Amino acid sequence: MSEKPARAIKLNVINEPKDSYTGGPSSLCPGCGHDQISSVIINAAWENGIEPHRIAKMSGIGCSSKTPAYYLGQSHGFNTVHGRMPSVTTGAYAINKDLLYLGVSGDGDSASIGIGQLIHAIRRNMDMVYVIENNGVYGLTKGQYSATADVGSKKKKGPANETQPIDLCALAINLGCTFVARSFSGSKKQLTSLLKAAMSHKGFALIDVISPCVTFNNNDESMRSYSYVKENEVTLHMADYIPHFNPVEEIEVPEGHFKDITLHDGSTIRLETISEEHDPGDAMAALTALHGAETGGKHVTGLLYFDATKPSLAEDLGLVDGALLDVPDEVLRPSQASLDALNAEFLA
Amino acid sequence: MSAIINDFTINIATANGTGSQSANLILLQSLFEMGVPVSGKNLFPSNISGLPTWYIVRLSDKGYQAPGDRTHIQVLVNPATWDEDLAALEPGSVVIWNSDTKGKTVERDDIVSYPVPMSSLARKINPKIAKLVTNIVYVGVLAELLGIDQTCLESAVAKQFKGKATAIELNITALGLGRGFCNEELTKADPYAVEKRAVTKPQFFIEGNEAAALGAHYGGVQLLAWYPITPSSSLAEGVINYIPRLRTDDDGKANMAVIQAEDELAAAGMVLGAGWAGGRGMTATSGPGISLMQEFIGLAYFAEIPSVFWDVTRVGPSTGLPTRTQQSDIAMLYEGSHGDTQHIVLIPGTVEECFEYGWRAFDYAERFQTPVFGMSDLDLGMNRWACEGFTYPDQPMDRGKVVREQDVFDAFETFGRYLDVDGDGIPYRTLPGSGMAPILYRGTGHNPMGVYSEKPEDYFNLMQRLRMKIDRARDELPAPILREEEECEVGIVFLGSMENSIQEIDDILEETGLKVSQCRVRALPFHAEVEAFVRRHETVIVLEINRDGQLYGILRRELPNDLVTKVHSVAYSDGMPPRARIYAERILATLEEVKQ
Repeated sequence: MSEKPARAIKLNVINEPKDSYTGGPSSLCPGCGHDQISSVIINAAWENGIEPHRIAKMSGIGCSSKTPAYYLGQSHGFNTVHGRMPSVTTGAYAINKDLLYLGVSGDGDSASIGIGQLIHAIRRNMDMVYVIENNGVYGLTKGQYSATADVGSKKKKGPANETQPIDLCALAINLGCTFVARSFSGSKKQLTSLLKAAMSHKGFALIDVISPCVTFNNNDESMRSYSYVKENEVTLHMADYIPHFNPVEEIEVPEGHFKDITLHDGSTIRLETISEEHDPGDAMAALTALHGAETGGKHVTGLLYFDATKPSLAEDLGLVDGALLDVPDEVLRPSQASLDALNAEFLA
Repeated sequence: MSAIINDFTINIATANGTGSQSANLILLQSLFEMGVPVSGKNLFPSNISGLPTWYIVRLSDKGYQAPGDRTHIQVLVNPATWDEDLAALEPGSVVIWNSDTKGKTVERDDIVSYPVPMSSLARKINPKIAKLVTNIVYVGVLAELLGIDQTCLESAVAKQFKGKATAIELNITALGLGRGFCNEELTKADPYAVEKRAVTKPQFFIEGNEAAALGAHYGGVQLLAWYPITPSSSLAEGVINYIPRLRTDDDGKANMAVIQAEDELAAAGMVLGAGWAGGRGMTATSGPGISLMQEFIGLAYFAEIPSVFWDVTRVGPSTGLPTRTQQSDIAMLYEGSHGDTQHIVLIPGTVEECFEYGWRAFDYAERFQTPVFGMSDLDLGMNRWACEGFTYPDQPMDRGKVVREQDVFDAFETFGRYLDVDGDGIPYRTLPGSGMAPILYRGTGHNPMGVYSEKPEDYFNLMQRLRMKIDRARDELPAPILREEEECEVGIVFLGSMENSIQEIDDILEETGLKVSQCRVRALPFHAEVEAFVRRHETVIVLEINRDGQLYGILRRELPNDLVTKVHSVAYSDGMPPRARIYAERILATLEEVKQ
C-alpha cells in the first residue's frame, strides 16, 4: 500500500505557512479593491518573515478600517474611532515600540475627519506603516464624495464633484514624511514591494493606494474606476524588494537602470526606472511628478519620496532601551527613599 | 483700639504680568513660616500681561481657608481697578496705595490710608526693573505694619528664588526700603497685627496640581499625553519636571514617555493606545478638553481600556471663565460619552488626596479595565495649600487581570476577552505582542469572545456586565469622610475643594444654633456609606460649586425612593472660590423652605 506523499507546505524564513497570516472572511462588497490590498498585506508580512503576533493592526472607521479582521488573525488589533487611529497607535507605540504597527485607513478617515492626526503622526515621524485605501468616496454611508475625489469625477448618482481634492502624497511630502508611495490595488506586484519596503522603514511610511469602490464609484466617468485607472496609471518605478534575511533568493536583478536604497534595518529597496529618471530623495521631483500627473489627469505610482536621515519618534522620546511595557513595576514606581527625600526637602 | 491678631484678609490689586505673583507668594510663605494659618487665592485673568489680578491672603487662627467675606487691608497698585476696589471697602478698612500712580489718590475719611511712593522707592534700586520691584516694596510695607518676622521673610525670599543670589539680594533690599519708609514716614493707625504661632506639626505649601503630578509618578505612569489648557497645564508640567529626578536612569534615559498632543482628542487617543498596549497612560485637562475627549471615553468604557484622565475643572460652559473655579464637570465625567455609560471619578479635597489619587487612579483603571477620572479644580490645583507630607503607596501596583504567561493562559478552559470568568464583571485580557488570544478590539458590539456581534442577547448581556462591573467598584473606592455627631438632624454632603470652606460654613451655621454633620464624597459611584449617611439624617443638603446641583442630581437618582425626599440642593457659583457666608446663608434659607 503506497501513501501519497503529503504536499509540502511552503514556509517562510521563520518557518510559518501563509495560513499564519490570514484572517477572517471579508464582509466587503465582492470585488472590492480593499480585499486585494488585504491579500497583499498577508503576502508582504509572510514574505518578510515577520512573526505575526509582533504586528499590531490599527484602523479607524470606514470600509477600509474594517479590513484588519480579514488579515493577520494572529495579531492583536484595534479598530478605533473615525480618523483617530494615529493617536491610539502613537500611545501604544510609546508603551511597546518593538511591535510593527500596521495602520489601515481610508480617504474619509485620513483626508477629512482624521487629517489632523495624520499630519501630526507624520510630523512626529511615528514609526508605522500607514496604508490609505483611497477610493474617493464614503462607502459605509452609501456613496458621498470624499476629500480626495477628483474635480469632475462622477459617481453613479448625483452631480459631478466640483471641490478641489487633497492629494495625500503631496501633503505628506510637504510635511517631510520619510516614506511616501502611491500604488493601485490592482498592481499586486508593485504594492507588495512597496508594502514590504514600508514594513522595513523606520519612521512614518505612507502608501496611498487607489482602491476603487465597486459599488459607489466605479462607473467609467469616475477617475477612480478600474477601467480609468488601468488605462491612465503612470508607473514611475518598478519597485523590487530585497528582504534582508535572504538577499539572494528573492530577487532577479532586472536589466537596465536601477537604484538601490538601503533601509534602516539593512534591507534594500531597488527601484527600476520605467519611464523617467526619478530620485526618491528629491522632494521637488516627487512633487513635480505628482503635479504633472494631476495636470494630465493621471495617477503616478511608485516610491515617490524617501528619507532615511530623520530620527523616528522613539529616538525623540529619549526612552530606555526596549519596550516600556517590559520595565518592572518596582522600577516604574520610584522608591520610598525618593519620596522621603522629597518630603524632607519640602519641609526644609 | 484693641489689636486684631491673625484674623484678617489682605487683598492685593495689581496688573497681570508685572511680577506681583512672586511678591505675593513671598508674603504668603513668610506668614506660613511664622506658623500663622494662612491661605492665598490668586484671582487672575485669562491674559499674559496687563489685565487686573487680585491676590487674597487670609490669616485665620481658626484655620479658615476660604476667602473671607470682606477685605480688611487693601493694597492698591493697579490704576485700572483702583476706584472700584476703593469703593468696595467697608469703613475702617486699611489702604496701602502707590502714591506715584498718576491721576489716582485716596480720598475717603472713613478708612486708614497709607500712601507709599512705591515706584520711586523701586526706581532707587534699579530704574530698569522698577515695575517688578514695586511689588516687593509693598510686601516690605506690610511686613513692617503687621510685624512680620524678618528671618521668616528672608527665608521666604530664598525659597522663592532658589539659589539665585542676585534676585535674593535685590528683593531683600527692596523689602528693606519698604520697611524703612514705613518706619520713617507712616504712623500705624490700624489694629491689624500678626503673631508667631507654635507649629505642632511641620508643614509645607504645595499646589494640588504638583501633588497630583507627583502621585502619578508614584503610580508608575508610563505615558503622559497632554494638550495645554488652564488650569491643568501645571499638572502635566509637574509630571514632566520630576522625570529627571524620579524616572530617569544613569544614562539619562527615561522609563516614561511624554507627548504633547495636537489636541485633546489625540491626547485621549494616546492614553487609550497606552492602556491597550498594557501600559499606564494618563492625560491632564480641563472641562473643554473633556468635552473633546468624549468619543474616546466611550470607547475606553465599551472596549474596556484602562485609562486615566485628570480634569482640573474651571468655569463653564464653553470657554466660560477660564481662570476661575467651579465644580461643574461632575455629571459629564460620571456619564461621559454617548450611550449608557458610568465612570469611576476620584475627587480629592486636599493636596494629600491629590497625591494619593494620583497613583491610585492607575490601580483602579487597571483593576476595573475602564477609564478613571481624577476631578480636581482650579482652586485646589493652582493655589498653595498646607501639607504635612505625602505617604508612600501602601500596596504594590495593581495591574489587574492581565494574562502575561503562557502557562497561565493555557490553564483557561476557554479564553474570551470579554468572558466573565470570575462573576465579578471583570474579564481577563492579553496584550498585543504576546501572541495569546489575539483579537481585534473594537468600539462596535461584541460577544464575550471579542467578535463583532449585533445579537440582542450579546449586546444586552454586555451592557449588564459593564454596569455590574462599575457598580461593584463603589465600595473599593475611597469612602466618604464623615464628621458626624449622633444628635444632628441635618447632614451636609459635599465634595472636593469645598473641604477648605466647610469648617467655616459649619461654624457660621453653629452660631445660629444649627449643628450639622458632614459627609465629604471622595468618589463616584457613591460608596454605600453615603446612602447610610442620608438614612441617618432627617434632612440632607448637597452643597456644591455649580448652578444646577450636579452631585445632587446623581444622588437623587441613585438613592432608594424613600430617601429621595430628604435630599435638597444648595448649589451656587460665581467663579470665586467658595466664600463660606454665601453658602451658609443659602443652607439656612433652604432649610427654612423645607420646614414650610
